[in-house]
Amino acid sequence: MTNSQRAACVELRFPCRPEYVGVARLAILGVASRMRFSYDEVEDVRLAVGEACTTSVEWAERNSKADSEIVLRSEIGQDSLVVDIFDDAGERGDEARVGEAEQESENLGALLITLLVDDVTVVPRDGGTHVRMVKHARQR
Amino acid sequence: MNFKMETRSVESKPPIIELEGEVDVYTAPQLKQQMISLLESGARELVVDLTKVDYLDSTALGVLIGGLKRMRERDGNMVLVCPSPRIRRVFEITGLDKIFDIFNTAQDATESMGKEKL
Repeated sequence: MTNSQRAACVELRFPCRPEYVGVARLAILGVASRMRFSYDEVEDVRLAVGEACTTSVEWAERNSKADSEIVLRSEIGQDSLVVDIFDDAGERGDEARVGEAEQESENLGALLITLLVDDVTVVPRDGGTHVRMVKHARQR
Repeated sequence: MNFKMETRSVESKPPIIELEGEVDVYTAPQLKQQMISLLESGARELVVDLTKVDYLDSTALGVLIGGLKRMRERDGNMVLVCPSPRIRRVFEITGLDKIFDIFNTAQDATESMGKEKL
């Protein structure tokens, strides 16, 4: 890719439900596999995206947002991948509705994302949440 | 969805839950239900075999932690079989490899439980 070329963008929209998280993982696996990532880095991205989508799905269930959707957008740079995950699963505010076991698993999910990608930001948006993750390919 | 679960029970040995494929937010509830059934039927020891698992997320980790806690509350134990470096890495980066006893083969896992009784 030359500097003058625009970064390629791949976008996927799918229902915010447990059975579709695997579809998102497959999509991001395909995208990350096209880049200069090592095998482990591709796996890191797959797991991080899976965790972010899982958190969206869990909040959609808590907020009774059965019709909510996730938009997964990946921007393929020369040596880095930017993944945006938008959901309309409602606010992530009411922790009183989160059981102890659920909280534990969600904390593990958040920990995994932090450890697997180089940068992550979680920002509330109208009716949902926007998660942005950046993964850089290591120099080899 | 690529997921299979089979439970093997041999007399005088702990039951083994063999998982295959992807254990995630969609499939992990089946594992949880199976663990609850085994606990309710009196199991105090359990082996969970992850040899054929190719993806495991935080939901699955949460279910495994829950299973381990419940077994230990009953003075029992639950151990894992996980020869795959990729899956084992998920336990390592979350520090859960220090909480679970993880073996490379089901035989090693089963024998470890036998030794605990001595």
